[in-house]
Amino acid sequence: MSELWDVAFIASLLAGMVRLATPILLAALGELITERAGILNLGVEGMMLTGALVGFLVAYGTGSLWLGTAAAVLCGGLLGLLMAFMAATLKVDQILVGLALNLLALGSTTFAYRLAFKDVGTQNPTTISTFGTVKVPGLADIPLLGEVLFSQHALTYLALLVVPAAYFFLYHTKYGLELRGIGDNPRAVDMRGVAYTRRQYAAVAFGGMMAGLGGAFLTLAASGLFVPDISAGRGWIAIALVIFGNWQPVWIMFGALFFGLIDSFQLSLQAVGVDVPHELLLGLPYLLTIVALVLNRRRTQMPLSLGIPYYRESR
Amino acid sequence: MTDGQPRTGDATGVIPLRRWKIEKRPDVGAWLQFLAILLALAAAFIVSAALITIAGADVGKAALAAFKGAFGSLKSFAETLLQSTPILLTGLAVTVAFRARLFNIGAEGQFLAGAMGAVWVSLAFGDALPSGLLIPLTMLGALATGGLWGGIPGLLRARYGTSEIIVTVMMNFVIYFLLAFLLGDVWRDPSSFFLQTPRMPEAAHLPKLIAGTRLHLGFIVALAAAALVYVLLWRTALGYEIRAVGINATAATYKGIDVAKITVLVMALSGAIAGLSGAIEIPGLHQRLTLDTSTGVGFTGIIIAMLGRLHPLGVVLAAFFFGASVTGTSAMQIATGVPVAINQAIQGIILIFLLITDVLVRYRLRRIEVHV
Amino acid sequence: MANSRSPASSEALLSIEHLTKRFPQVLANDDISFEVRRGEICCLLGENGAGKSTLAEMLYGASEPDAGRIRFDGRPAAFASPRDAIDVGIGMVHQHFALIPTLTAVENVFIGTRSGGLLLDLNQTRRRLEELRDSYQIELDLGVPVSELSVGQQQWVEILKALHGGAKLLILDEPTAVLTPQETGKLFANLRRMRDDGLSIIFITHKLHEVMAVSDRVIVLRLGKLVNAIETDATTREQLARIMVGREVVFRVDNRRMEPGEVLLEVKGVHAVNDKGREALHGVGLTLRRGEILGLAGVSGNGQRELFDVLVGVRPTAAGEILLEGRNLANRSSTYVAEQGLCGVPEDRVRQGLVMDFRVDENLILGRHRDSRFSRGWLLRRREIDAFARRMIDDYEIATPTAGQVVRVLSGGNLQKVVMARELAREPKCLIVSQPTRGLDVGATEYVRRRLLEERDRGAGILLISEDLDEILNLATRIAVMFKGQIVGVLDAEEATVEAIGLLMAGVHHGAAGRLQ
Repeated sequence: MSELWDVAFIASLLAGMVRLATPILLAALGELITERAGILNLGVEGMMLTGALVGFLVAYGTGSLWLGTAAAVLCGGLLGLLMAFMAATLKVDQILVGLALNLLALGSTTFAYRLAFKDVGTQNPTTISTFGTVKVPGLADIPLLGEVLFSQHALTYLALLVVPAAYFFLYHTKYGLELRGIGDNPRAVDMRGVAYTRRQYAAVAFGGMMAGLGGAFLTLAASGLFVPDISAGRGWIAIALVIFGNWQPVWIMFGALFFGLIDSFQLSLQAVGVDVPHELLLGLPYLLTIVALVLNRRRTQMPLSLGIPYYRESR
Repeated sequence: MTDGQPRTGDATGVIPLRRWKIEKRPDVGAWLQFLAILLALAAAFIVSAALITIAGADVGKAALAAFKGAFGSLKSFAETLLQSTPILLTGLAVTVAFRARLFNIGAEGQFLAGAMGAVWVSLAFGDALPSGLLIPLTMLGALATGGLWGGIPGLLRARYGTSEIIVTVMMNFVIYFLLAFLLGDVWRDPSSFFLQTPRMPEAAHLPKLIAGTRLHLGFIVALAAAALVYVLLWRTALGYEIRAVGINATAATYKGIDVAKITVLVMALSGAIAGLSGAIEIPGLHQRLTLDTSTGVGFTGIIIAMLGRLHPLGVVLAAFFFGASVTGTSAMQIATGVPVAINQAIQGIILIFLLITDVLVRYRLRRIEVHV
Repeated sequence: MANSRSPASSEALLSIEHLTKRFPQVLANDDISFEVRRGEICCLLGENGAGKSTLAEMLYGASEPDAGRIRFDGRPAAFASPRDAIDVGIGMVHQHFALIPTLTAVENVFIGTRSGGLLLDLNQTRRRLEELRDSYQIELDLGVPVSELSVGQQQWVEILKALHGGAKLLILDEPTAVLTPQETGKLFANLRRMRDDGLSIIFITHKLHEVMAVSDRVIVLRLGKLVNAIETDATTREQLARIMVGREVVFRVDNRRMEPGEVLLEVKGVHAVNDKGREALHGVGLTLRRGEILGLAGVSGNGQRELFDVLVGVRPTAAGEILLEGRNLANRSSTYVAEQGLCGVPEDRVRQGLVMDFRVDENLILGRHRDSRFSRGWLLRRREIDAFARRMIDDYEIATPTAGQVVRVLSGGNLQKVVMARELAREPKCLIVSQPTRGLDVGATEYVRRRLLEERDRGAGILLISEDLDEILNLATRIAVMFKGQIVGVLDAEEATVEAIGLLMAGVHHGAAGRLQ
């Protein structure tokens, strides 16, 4: 048990925290922008899963991890456009569209994987070599902090940079102001003659791309393989993160790090050989999501028009 | 729908008379809603054909194999009914919840909870009780555990306003890992290499309906449940309150309906029905639990509820249709090699197309004659 | 009347020819043609449903005409969106404000302006708004979220938003619904100033006294057609009413009053909070007698909604009593309150009163569905429900093809009849009605008011909560005024004047005017 508290253990625990937080942080930041435009995208899970599969397939087929990543982002964006079409143009019930997308993604990705790879049993899944970590020159040598913050994957750095970028976009740019307006009162923005539908498409497409990117991280950086339903509910956790981060980028980041910590802790305990039933630990993040939702009920920054379709004509 | 494109007038700015116009229908009749379903299914069939071709199979051969697999003989027909049974129940579970505008995405986990409850009861009392008592008892156990697993999200929603969507999804994972833990621990079948529970005692197995097939009593139970759900929703005061809350909770509150109470009750009931599905599928078919027990019946239930327009009769028909697609695609895989996962893909496609056609049938083209 | 105006320019600023707009079930605007000159205030008058708002929507670019043409400032105009209308100089002040509550006034105005690059720079907008605000001498904090402003101030943000774009034509849609009489007077004075500065104004209303007070010209719509365009100087209220409705209109409903009976309802020291947790009722007290209509006047947002909720049993009280014939109803369920004899007709019939996808018969038993009359054990008694529904449809002249018709397709007047039938069928001792004729055409309005008087004559006590002072003056026996969660005055209807009520509505002379309980 004494191994539990030495510096090496803590460093690896915290580094794992940042690494494991990456996919849900990416997806959550994308969902933040989507929801700020007033659209509730429940299809994040499906978009992540699709990104994971497409990234894997393309990387396997072309041998290029970056091409795989690009493909994942593209697919996520396309699914986002589909969501935008159904939610913003057809004005269908957004909850149902999201659920439909998830089901579609689950079935399609499994179907495609089975077609492409014949290793039906999970004893020997096909693997590819993954992205390596990128050490920031100089900073990576700092004790503890160097390992935790400056020896991560490129996508992790990207995720951390998107946090201030999202904040800046929302509160210091003209488009961010308009987007917040759309999320709170689309009618007011429409009456000012702003092409709000176009903005909503952009916001949802961005959300889809980020979710796809998060999925790509799972197969191209974190694991190097694909199993059906590899996203395992992370998309849903991302949605929950937006809620109890109160629609603020920085709080969402802290929430993602918290979940990353739980995940990392569970892995580290296994590695050290501590005898805790690991299935229960695997279920812990999901249980904690429920607890966090209950504890954090004041959703004072929720976009007022979230999930509510806007019709210009009252009849 | 507004089109936002400027209509160019002539040089003096006169806007010409419109001939055709897209406008919203005043109300959408039942026949149009049915048409929406047909259109969605047609579109989905086209996509299926495309997927089959991508998989390298011949569409005609695949379709024939599928049809024979679903309806070709008494045995395959019974198998189709068998496959429609669990999803009929989860479809009913989702229907009850959605009617109150409670989005229960946790039917999958509630199914598992019910199955676990049934298995536990049968293992605990299997030696002591005869079938006539044991089977109803296992069903009660499933209703209780499923009801608990659905009631908790309902309670959280009623008390704290937390989204039942996210909570039920999370609880799907929680119970899966709980089962995984139990399978590796106290519930492990010591006599087997595989990770599974001991086999349920004979007395708990559901009797077969047709000799030589796998069709069991559960099918009748599911049909009975459909009838009961109909009576509940349209013939009882409680069902009236459930539907009222689902459409306008504010007005319901003004007239004395306790929305919090309805929330908990409906979620528990929905969970119980999904749990019942577990109590039928396991004792009727597999007779033990493994990590593969949950196969997506909860999510299929959502599609079925939507296709069935949240009405028990529609749900029965949709469940039958999906049961046929399970047996059909299974036969199709054997005959042509198309992966069975095509089923789930098609489910999502059908739902998306249905959402689209639902909107499309709300509009019509009209010829406008305006005299200036 | 201060209708004198500087000579208007003779060339028309806005010219509408044969404008037509058709909806699936109704021809909303039928071949309408008129002109608005520069520097004049033009009233667009018509009852609810006449087509005024539809016409306005086409003028500010929110919808496209099916036929006809618009000329503005000498050029043909075809608006694809509100931005086009704003660009040529048309500004719209909506009846339901188009404001983003979480953003400040400056931010609200900034959205949609084609200024600047990527970065957010509000300075220019702020300076211009400050100039406008100061020139009209309004008190307005431009830097707080709009939700924190009073309703009157929010309306000014709407107006400044329209003027900021350099409007030549200002369209106001029923702007006085949320103002006290004094605020209305101030608004009219400012409108006249704007007109004298050369602005043209279209003022949409269904209130005749406003037309006479502020307009130079009035255009009357009825059932989608333009029936008359006339100089205001050349007409009278009575004539306008006749033109607007198409027949003789009785202004004062025949109001033989009974002597009010004994005290029926006593509200004492009631405190309650609103949905956001802030106290909305600060010790409300009033008395209601049998056979009287107590009108409750006041600008919306002063606690009327919370008072209604508290009385019908849907909102808890933090303190105080609600005594119906001596029995305290405070904090009891709405079912209990209704059983004791207090029923309510809520202000929003669609959102609070009805389940729109339910049938007529289902809506008629809402709240009584568990009564032994309508259900036995668990099951509903369908035959009794059906018989009851058919009788109600008959008694209340509800225009519906069958009792099984889904309520969504019914007209506003018939929807209100369903709600009233449901409540009045219980023969309540005490009836609370809130904005009962809002959005109804004249026929339905007359019917509702007639029914209320019948209930009063039957011996019921009625609390009439209304923002429409005319309605209160017409129907009430006594008039109470609500301001910031308290009753600030109670007057006898015969003694009450619009000025006195208006002062109370604005919170002036608190405790001095009229007799308090």
